This record gives sequence, structure tokens and C-alpha cells, in this order.
Amino acid sequence: TVTSSDDKLPIPGVSVRVKGTQVGAVTDANGRYSVNVPSGGTTLDFSYIGYVVQSKAIGSATTINVELVSDAQVLTDVVVTANAIKREKRTLGYSAPTITSEALEQSGSASALTAMVGRVPGMNISSSSNTPGSSTRIVFRGGTSIAGNNQALIVIDGVPVDNSSVIGGADSRSSVDFGNRANDIDPDDIESITPLLGPAAAALYGSRASNGAVQITTKSGKKGKTQITFNTSNTFSSILKLPDFQNEYGQGYATDYDGSVVNEYFNDSQENWSWGAPFNGAMQEWGQSIDGVRQSKPYSAQTDNVRNFFKTGFATDNNLSFSGGTDKSTFYLALNTLNSDGIFPGAQDVYDKYGVRFNGRTDFSDKFSAGISFNYNKINARQVAGGQNDNSVFDNVLQTPRDIPLDKLGDLNNKYNGFGYTDANGVLHADQYGYYGSYTLNPYYILQNFTNDDAINRITGNVNLEYKPLSWLTIQDRIGTDTYSERRRQLTPKFSFSPIDLTTNQGTHVSNGGYQIDQFNVTEIVNDLMATASHTFSEDFKGSLMVGHNIRQRTTSTNRTATNASAGLVVPDWYNLQNSNGPLNVITDNISQRRLVGVYADLNLAYKNYLFLEATARNDWSSTLPVQNNSFFYPSVSGSFVFSELIKPNNILSYGKVRASVAKVGNDTDPYQLLTTFSKGTILSGFGSTVFPFGNVAALQAGSTLGNPNLKPEITTAYELGTELSFLNNRIGLDFTYYQNKSKNQILAIPIPNSTGYGFSVVNVGEVQNKGIELTLKGTAVRSADWNIDLFGTYTRNRNLVVDLGDIDQVVLGGVSGMAIVAAEGRPYGEFYAVTNQTDAQGRTIVDAETGLPLPTATAQYLGSYNPKFQASWGANITFKKHWNLNVLFDTKQGNKLYSRTKDILAFVGVSEETGGQRFGLPFPNSVYLDADGNSVVNNSVFYNKQDYFPDLNPGVNIIDGSFVKLRSAGISYSFNKEQLKSLPFSAVSLGVFGNNLFIWTAKENKYVDPEVNSGGATNEQGFDYTAQPSVRNYGFNLRVTF
Amino acid sequence: CKKFLDVNENPNNPDTASPNLLLPASQAATGQIMGNFFQIYGNFWAQYWTQNPTSSQYRTVDQYNPAATAFDRPWLILFRNALVNADLITKAQGSSLEYTKGIAYLMKAYTFQVATDAFGDIPVSQALQPEVYPAPSYDAQAVVYDSVFNYIDKGMALISVSNSSSPGAQDMVFQGNMANWKAFANTLKLKAYLRLAYVDPTKAAAGVRALYATNPTFLTVDASIKYLSTGGNENPLYNEMVGLSRTQNIVASTTAISHFDANSDPRVAKLYDLIPTDAAAKTERSIPQGSYNTNTGKTVSPPSALVGARASNSASATAPVKFISVAESYFLQAEAVQRGWTNGVGVVATLYTQGIQASFTALGAGDATAYIASAPDGAAALAANPLKAIITQKYYAMCGFQGFEAWTEWRRTGYPDFFTPSVAPILGIPRGSFPLRMAYPNTEATSNKNFPGIVTIDQPVWWDKN
Repeated sequence: TVTSSDDKLPIPGVSVRVKGTQVGAVTDANGRYSVNVPSGGTTLDFSYIGYVVQSKAIGSATTINVELVSDAQVLTDVVVTANAIKREKRTLGYSAPTITSEALEQSGSASALTAMVGRVPGMNISSSSNTPGSSTRIVFRGGTSIAGNNQALIVIDGVPVDNSSVIGGADSRSSVDFGNRANDIDPDDIESITPLLGPAAAALYGSRASNGAVQITTKSGKKGKTQITFNTSNTFSSILKLPDFQNEYGQGYATDYDGSVVNEYFNDSQENWSWGAPFNGAMQEWGQSIDGVRQSKPYSAQTDNVRNFFKTGFATDNNLSFSGGTDKSTFYLALNTLNSDGIFPGAQDVYDKYGVRFNGRTDFSDKFSAGISFNYNKINARQVAGGQNDNSVFDNVLQTPRDIPLDKLGDLNNKYNGFGYTDANGVLHADQYGYYGSYTLNPYYILQNFTNDDAINRITGNVNLEYKPLSWLTIQDRIGTDTYSERRRQLTPKFSFSPIDLTTNQGTHVSNGGYQIDQFNVTEIVNDLMATASHTFSEDFKGSLMVGHNIRQRTTSTNRTATNASAGLVVPDWYNLQNSNGPLNVITDNISQRRLVGVYADLNLAYKNYLFLEATARNDWSSTLPVQNNSFFYPSVSGSFVFSELIKPNNILSYGKVRASVAKVGNDTDPYQLLTTFSKGTILSGFGSTVFPFGNVAALQAGSTLGNPNLKPEITTAYELGTELSFLNNRIGLDFTYYQNKSKNQILAIPIPNSTGYGFSVVNVGEVQNKGIELTLKGTAVRSADWNIDLFGTYTRNRNLVVDLGDIDQVVLGGVSGMAIVAAEGRPYGEFYAVTNQTDAQGRTIVDAETGLPLPTATAQYLGSYNPKFQASWGANITFKKHWNLNVLFDTKQGNKLYSRTKDILAFVGVSEETGGQRFGLPFPNSVYLDADGNSVVNNSVFYNKQDYFPDLNPGVNIIDGSFVKLRSAGISYSFNKEQLKSLPFSAVSLGVFGNNLFIWTAKENKYVDPEVNSGGATNEQGFDYTAQPSVRNYGFNLRVTF
Repeated sequence: CKKFLDVNENPNNPDTASPNLLLPASQAATGQIMGNFFQIYGNFWAQYWTQNPTSSQYRTVDQYNPAATAFDRPWLILFRNALVNADLITKAQGSSLEYTKGIAYLMKAYTFQVATDAFGDIPVSQALQPEVYPAPSYDAQAVVYDSVFNYIDKGMALISVSNSSSPGAQDMVFQGNMANWKAFANTLKLKAYLRLAYVDPTKAAAGVRALYATNPTFLTVDASIKYLSTGGNENPLYNEMVGLSRTQNIVASTTAISHFDANSDPRVAKLYDLIPTDAAAKTERSIPQGSYNTNTGKTVSPPSALVGARASNSASATAPVKFISVAESYFLQAEAVQRGWTNGVGVVATLYTQGIQASFTALGAGDATAYIASAPDGAAALAANPLKAIITQKYYAMCGFQGFEAWTEWRRTGYPDFFTPSVAPILGIPRGSFPLRMAYPNTEATSNKNFPGIVTIDQPVWWDKN
């Protein structure tokens, strides 16, 4: 019997071989084996992955029991590198940390990408609202591209998969977060994740991996007994951070006032403003007079009216897997369901995902084996819009006056809350409303009537064949595909409501309604043919050479069609394109196809066990570049030197390695960038547009972008230096990397003066540089029979600089009117650019000498970048008696900025904490005014009033410090061992409670939002809280049972 | 391999376009400018309209403090929709395209004049040639006007050939009626030369005389685009209002209303939806320009659906956008005669009466005879100060339809002389002054290395000598 030294339990699937022969056996489910030893056989070798190989002399024994010792070193030392090639970590000349399935489980996150936060340095992961199906953006080492995709390539089992992030809704100002497609993968199916941080690591993936790659390896079966594992995670969620509110003033506004004094307040019952009189607690009528009656309530703050609007969300994530295998074949089959209903009342934010995965591999002979990997996902989601339009629930919630009991307005049949009204005589007035607000809709009404649906069907998978014609030669072919269709439906109700009570001068609510269908189809096919020859030149000198061929094709079709943009629906409540009031609005009807052919080579040389060299070269031919420039070549070289091998074994340094690499990666562009084209006549104005056909008149117009028939590929060059050290018998480990990368000749549609007749010109321009360090420290604080306490921390610093943009100063990445997020020459990427309050040299705000109100800057100012100055994480993993596990992980981003429209709208309506306190008779804090000579005069005497200031803030004032510290995850679990379960049908059971995104500490000036929320999804428009959906904390329990 | 990679031909958009398909896009773009952006700024700055106290969209217009980015979109539409497409037509190859090309030259002339009247110096000689001039330099306004005359002459020559093909319905202004286009060309030329009457009277006089020497026809029908009730084909201002959830942002300004009223002008009831004034119900016939802050919560008369500015009335959708109106045509001729530049052709009083009557007819306000006879700004005014009377009557005729031209003529002539500064400005240009131009767009400042620098909106343009 073969048992494990860890838990004394049998190990199935151990390979037993008579040394020097081909005779052998594999242990069965109970760890037993039998082998007929040929004559002359003297020794048995026992080997099993993850354990140290043992040899036992046979002698005359008929039973040989062996206890295998696990080899932690071996486990962590195998790294899955580019093209799914497994390599020993020590041989790598670049940083390639590994994240295990345990770490993913600990986070309890439904997103594999979010689960990686804080685990390794070098990654900037933004998790937005942290709900199932929401966006996660993942950028390595600062991102290299000005306008292109900056996210790392996501690769599953060697096949790149699509990671589109198309914001739902019209744009980021009315966004519905339908997530990014890399989050479709079920974390339960993942064996490990290797972030290939730099271009050197990812060079073999070619152009698409110029931003690094996330190498995901899914689980596979193990030879031996079939295992059935059931894992259920049940998660509750609530809002992580709500704004701080003032609780002193209610509905209405001052009508007769100056900077010092208010003579009169108007208690305007239709208002969204809380600029009214101070609370006095007296009973007061409010809202509309319906059937001669108005409701009354005390005039006092409803301190929790926003918090109580939301409910506790719940998600249940269940995974059932079967895995096992014979000595020839292995398989892994998993079924997954994830059902979530989020924090908004009702069932308008639901996310249901169903998945099945099958991974199998079989050896047909010693020389030929084949594997298949298949995954199907079906996703149905319904999400709530953010932003500022009628359909934004949060925007309407935030505009609730402080004295309105919002959380009690959920009964839409109540005539004071609803839209549509039945009078005392039983007559229905479908066009009248009783809700108090003229400027807002009842958020409960929005939830019931505005709908955003998403349905996805997706298949990813690959077939992979391996042939070993000769002992030194392996030929492998892997063909993979990723194909999905996604269909979104956006329903906007048609209504026209006038108030029941006309005496309070209430406004009307009008909407022409609309219906939009967005259909996305994406299919990628990738084939890699690789031949690897390995040769042992001598005992000390080994090498291998791989040559490969890659073909990739990506086809997409996008069709976004809506009812008439101006006139909407004919009939209310009928959501069908046939119900369009006038010609359909074809927003996008686009197909595209791109192809790429590449050849590559990868040479690995190893001298003794301490000197390693790898060189790669690749040449790509891309369909998207002009024929004369469509071939581009790029090499990389990396090396590693394990110097500890040359040092006498000692108790201080257990392992030491230095590594270095230099790499170049070329990149092509999107299809159809070479020619200038025409489009259908559409003249877009501020809020409307003239659209052709105009009656029967058709029109074409010049496109907005000048094509460029002479484009060249982009080139990224990267250098990396690093070291891995461990001390005191591997109790302390350190991994340090310094890197520098530069991307130049960027393919960019730069803005050109509109007076040229065009808006953009596609050119090769610009250079972006990133320099940084990454540091990981690991230590085992306690290692005893009962206790094991591991501590770890990471630190990442990236300095990003837009070095050159040619003739232009900046490129706009996103933003709103008056506030742009830009890539500006000489500044970090993602800089905010806006008009803000004027300040003098001492940083004091300059106010108007008459009104006391801050003066705006004459031009927009650069106000900091959304990229953090540094990131860090700190975690602990404690096990007690091998049953108990406690883990905790904190992470932080510091020095990043954030634009918060949440702050702006709260200031506008006068409900945020900053709008409270004394509203009149004070000078603007720390202000000066300018005298006739332009000198600053400290202002103690010119009073401003908050009601004139806060509703009309300069956009730059809403750009705030986005630094934060988060308790990213924490959990406690208990595992039963096999002895405890002896009498039960289970081989393993673990039970745990977990939480993620649990607590946040923000910068002092951020009293508004979790800085990770984002209206731009996973695009380059980051740090953009345009009344984005609030993020949630998740907490729940988990049960894992293995049969 | 070569064939395998040859998949980069764009299947989504054509790379050529026939001139007759480009023409309506160009005309509709000028329609968006005249019917929406310049309609709003023009009617506000000509003091026909002001910001509604119960809404906020156009406060910065009354504050004379437009945002730095306020003119990005109109500039974009001028150059990237109207002018570039007109320019591509003029450069098109092919037979029987003379009429379409001629119309394109005239649209280019009209639109460049509008652009320079708004912004002053603008790119013209280096505009619309991105390969040659990626950063067009700005030409003096005098040079732009020379180009305008040049384009009119080129257009006139092309539309005067025989045996070309009419663009028919693809011409959104005159549906291919070339006689109307000839009248348009002449009227536009007259308008452009008269604009120079104060800055370069010699040139203006010579130009008008040369024009009259050709025995020109002038417009007797509106040069306008007629809009439809179909979504996306509506009057641009109304379409904009629909995009703003049909909020009524625009109401009557006391400047215009009080002078209509002083003349007992029947047109006022056509141009505005007058509401009963009731202090208790807080309703007002009009409010002083920019006084939204002191009239908080008050309901004020909005402009009518006839001019496309009544948000709640769907009939606004079909209001036309007028490039040059019939009334304007008569008033231009009246001024030319008054200045004595017509080689003796025409009678001021006749043309003046015809202008007023054309305005009445266009509004369905009936016969103007009684009004002309009795109104202080009617016949009596013509006798007292003909030029002032002509321009003042042109001002009344342009209300709600041609705000931009009315503001521009006020800048040129100083008439009407009853404008009062908006009370709204807190910041922006000095209190008590008026906006005299539009500000260059932010996009040019940030993308054009030959951008000449910011000019504040209280600086007069070159021809503005009054």
C-alpha cells in the first residue's frame, strides 16, 4: 500500500515501476498495487505528482508499503507559461507568480478575476460593483496602449478567449453593467492562474499579449478513484459604502436671501432639493393634494431613507463535479449554477448563470494522446441602469429630500406614490400621477418599468493532440474556439403623466418610450501547431527547441437596433421593433473579420541546474495592416541564474535566483482602419439629430475618421530584472521585480481639427512608458505540529508616462461635457482634465469679491490620474491542527483620483454632508479675493451661500482622492479529515464562512463612494463614478463535500 | 497566405458616395445649425427669447458665459457635416453634375458666411484638405468673404448651364428648381455685399452695382428646409427639445414682446403662445432678458409651435428652417435701393411694404396694410429714418425663425436700438455689454496647432463697425 505521510491515507494513481524496466503498475483506489517483478528487478520506484520520488529495494519482500512525502517545492515550482507549456519556475527569466484554486476559493468571489486581487503584485484589478456578472478590469504594469485595449489577454488552457466589455445603455453616462466576458468562467473549475505579467512572459502569444496574459488552467481528472465533489457557496450582499448625508435641512429652498441671511424659505413640495428650512420636527403637509387631502409627516430627517431602500442581496453558487480516470484516460465533468438577486428591491437585478465543463484526456498509445476541453455557459441577467437618465434608479434615489420617507413609497398602488390614478369615483386617470416629485420618478416605479435584459450563450473549448514519434520529439496541435451570442434588450416605457394636484405647480413626466435590441456575435478560432525537440548534450547541458505555427481568426457581428430615437413607441407597453414610431434607429450594423498567421520558435537551454536561457522569436502576418507593412518580427531573450546552487547548503539562504529578460512585441490594429469611408446621413446635435432617410430622401456623408493606408505595427519593448530569494529553510521568501516597458508607433485615431472636415486621423504616433517595481514577501511565522501561520504581502509601484503624442497634446479617453479623462503628453495615463475652482499660490481658493463664490479657472486643469501611485496587499493564512483555516487579506490603492458625479448630484440637491452645517453667513473656507492689483486678500468678510455654490460646482471640484484600504476577503473554514469521516460516504468535507469586499477605509474627502465603482465598465474610462451602481460587500457560507 | 489575409475590405461602409447622396446631408447639416444651435443663440441674443425660470438648459446663453466647449458641436456640424460634404460634391467627377455641384457651391458660400459671421476669422483657404493641411490656418474675415463671393460666382456659373440633370428631391431646399437657386445666388450675394457696407462701403457698393447690372432675380419664396413629423426628420429645435424630455426651456423676452405690443402687432400672437397674465397664478406674458432668477417659479409665454419652439406641441415638428426668407429678400433690396447702389432700380417704400407683407403672409397674420399705416415702427418710421425702419422691420420679420441673422444685422447696423443687456451675467463678459461673436470651439484650441488664440465674445468681428 502506498500512503501519504501527511494524513497516512492511501494514495490512488501512484506509478510503481521496476527500475530499469518497462514493468510497472498503478495503485488502485485504496492505494494498493501489485507488480510482477521480472528477474533481475531489484528496486521499485514510486512516483506521484506532488510527492518526492522514492525508491525501495525489493529484496525478498512480497509486500512493500511506502509512505510518500509531499513535496511542496515541486507543486509551487511548476508554472503554466505561454501556450500552456509547463515549466519549472526556476528556469524562468521573468516573473510568473501562480494563484492556486485555494486562494480563489478563499475569496468567495463569483469572479475569477476579482478573486485575484491582492494575491500577486503587478496587477491593477478594479472590481467595480463586485456583484456577480459585474465588470472587472485587469491591467498589468500600467497598460501600454493609448486608445487600444489595455487589459491582459485572458487565456484558458492555452486558448485565448474573448474579454469584450461593451457597456449596456447608450454610453457610460447611462450605463448598465453587463460585465466583461472573461468573468464568464466559473472559479470552481480553475486549477490555477498564472499572470504572465510582462511581454517577455507572453511573447509567444504574440501581438495580443503585449499587455501580458492571464493563463488560466482548468481542472483535470486524476487517475484513480472517481471523485464527486459538491461545493455550494451562499452569499448575502449589502451596500459597502453609501454617501454621508446631512440631516439638518429638508425639501424646498431659500427664496429671499443673500450671502449672509435668509429671509424666506419655500417649502416646495415638488422639489428634489433639500435646500429648505432647518428641521423643526413639526407636523407638516407634503406632496400633492389628492381628492382634497395631503399627507402629513413631521418635518425631520429620515436618516436611513436611502439605506433602507435597498434590500439584502442573495446569491447561491453550486458546483457539482465528477473527476477521475483510468491509467489511460482522465476526465473532469462539472456542472455549475449561479443564481443571484442583488440589492435593489424586487427582482430587477438578477444574474443567473449555468455552466457545464468537460475536460478529458486519453493516451491511445505511448506515442499518441488526445485531449478535449469543452465549456458551455448560459447566462440570463437583468441589470439596473446607472447614470443620470430617467432609468437610473440610484440617481433618483439620491435626489430624495432628507425628510421624504423614500423607503415607504414602495406601494405603487398608493395614489400618493404612483403613476396612474383612480379617483374617488373609480375613474382611472392613466395620465396623472400622485408622486411628490416633479423632477424625479419614484425609484420603485423605475424598477418595475425600465428593464435591461441580457442573454448569453457561449461555448469555449479546444481539442488537443499530442504525438511523440521519437523520444526527443513531441508534436502537438491545439485547435480552440470561443463562440458566443449575446442579446440585450432595453425597455423604456412610454408615458405622459401630469400631476393630479395642479395647484402646487407640479411638472409633467413625459417619455416617448423605446425598445432596443443589441445583438453581439463573436467567434474566435485559434490553431497552434508546435513541434518540440529536446536534447541532452551532456549531463550538464540540456536544451529544447520548439517551433510553432499559429492561425487565428476572429469574426464579429454587432447589430444594435432601436425604435425611432426621437419618437419612440407607438403603443405603450408593447416592446417590439414593429412598434417603432417612425423609421427604426439602426445604431450599429457591423460585421468584421480579422486573421493573423504567426510562426514562432522557443529555444530553452539549461546548464547544470542553475543557469537557464530562453530565447523566443515570432513573426506575424496580420490582415488588418496594409500589405506592405503586415509582416512583423519580434524576439525575446530571458535568463535565470539560480546562484544558491553554487553556495554551500546553509541555514540562512535556502534559495536564490536572479533573472533578466528583454522582449519586443509587435501589435496590429482593428480591421478596416486603412480607408476613409462614408456613412448614412446623420447629423447629431446636442440632444437630438437629423436622421436620413428624410421622407424619401436618402443621404450619405463623409465618415468622421481618415483612414491610413500606410499603417505600421505598434512595437512594445520591455525590460525586466528580478530576484527570488528564500531564507531560513524557506520560511521567508522574497520576490522582487523591476521592469520598464515602452510602447511606440501606437496606432491611434487622433483628433484632428474639425476644420479639416474630419474629426480623427488614424496614425502611428505616440509613446507610453511604464516603470515599476513589484515585491512579494512571504513568511511562515509559526510552523508547529498544531499551528501554521503564513503571512504575505505585496507591493506594486508603477510610474506611467505618456511620453509623446506627436502633434497633439492629449487624447480623450472618456468623461463628460466639461470633464475629460485624457492621455496627455508628459503626464500619467488616465489624467483628469477639468475646470475647477481657482486657487492662489498658497492653495487658497480665490472667490469673487462681491458674491464670495469661488471663481472658475479660465481653462481646464490637469487634476491627477486614475492610476494609483502604489498598491499593496497584506494577508495571513492560519491553519490549526490541519482542520481549521483562517485567512484574511487586505489591499490598498493609494494616490489615484476619482470623478464622482454622486458627489455632484448630492451637492446639487443639497443632501450630502458637505452641504449641511451653517449655509449662510460664512466665507468660503480658506479663501481669498483679489484686490485691484491682483493680490490675494484673505477673505473673512465676503460671505457666500451654499445654495448658490453647491448646485453648480465646477466639474474639477468633483475629482477627489480615490485612495482606499479594503478588507478584501476573510474567512474561516473547518475541514474534516479522512479518519473523522471513516464511517461516512465522504472522503472530504469542509465547511466555512467567508466574506469579500468587507470593509473600506477611504480618503477623508471621499464621503461618497467606493472608488472602485465605475461607469465605464472595464474600458479605459476608469475612475468614473457617473452615479455608478454602488458596490456591495458579500458574506456567506460554503460547504464542500467530496464523495 | 496572401489570400488568406486579404479580408480587410470594409463590408460595413461604402468608400465612395455619389454627389446627389451627399447633397441632402450637407443641406440638413446647415439646417441643424440654423434651426437649432444658431436658432437658440440667435433668438436669445436677438432678445426674442430668454431662459424659462422653471428650467435651466440655456442659462449660460443668457449669462453671456458659454462653456469653453459650447461651440464644439456647431463648429463640428459646420465643417464635418455641412462643408466637407458640399466640398466633396464640388470635387466629384462625372457627367451632368453641374446643377448639383452648383448648389453645393452655393451651400458652401452660404455656410461659410454663416460661420464667419459667427466666429470671425476662420479657416477657408486651408480648410477641408486634411492630407495637405492637417492643421488649417485661419483666414481674415475679409478673405473669407472673398471666398464666399467666389463660391457664389462658381455656383452661379454651374447652375446656369443648360443640359444638366436636376437633383430633384435630393435637393432639400428647392427640390431642384434652378430658377429659385439663381434667385438664391443673387439674394445671397446682395446679403453678403451689404454686410460689408460699413467696413468697406466702396467694395460693397461696387459689388451690389455689379450684381444689379446682371438684371438679377431675387427670392420670392423662402429658401428653407421643410421638416416632417416623422421621428428624426422633425424641426431641429423641436427634435432637440424631445431629446431634453420636452422641457420648455425657452420663453418670451420682454425686449421683443414689448415692441411688438407697442406697435399692436398681430404677428406676436402667431410667434408666441401668449398666456393670460395673472399675478396670483404667477403667469407672465414675458420676462426681461435673463431674469430667470428673479422670476423663480413663474410660468411665462413660450414661443409657438409655428416657429418650432413649443416643446409640448407636436406641431412644432413641421416648422421650417429658413436660410433666407422672402421678407428678408425684400428688406435687403430695400436697403440696397436706399443706399443708392442699384443703378436706379427699385423703390424703397414698395420693397419695405412688400417685406412687411411677406412676413405677415408667412405667419398667416393677414393683410399688413393697417399695421403699416398705424404702427409707430411702420410707414412713419420709414419716413423718419429709412435704414433704421428697414432693419427694425426686418428684425420683427425674423422673430423666431432667423434669430441668428437678426442678431447679426443688429451687430452690423445697431438696429433695432432697443436691446437691453441681459440681467443674468455673473461671470463672462463685462456687465452691461453684449455678445458680439461666438467663441472658437475648444476642439480647435486643443487640436489645431495653427489656432490663433481665444477671442472673447464681446469682441466685434471685422465688419462690425457699429
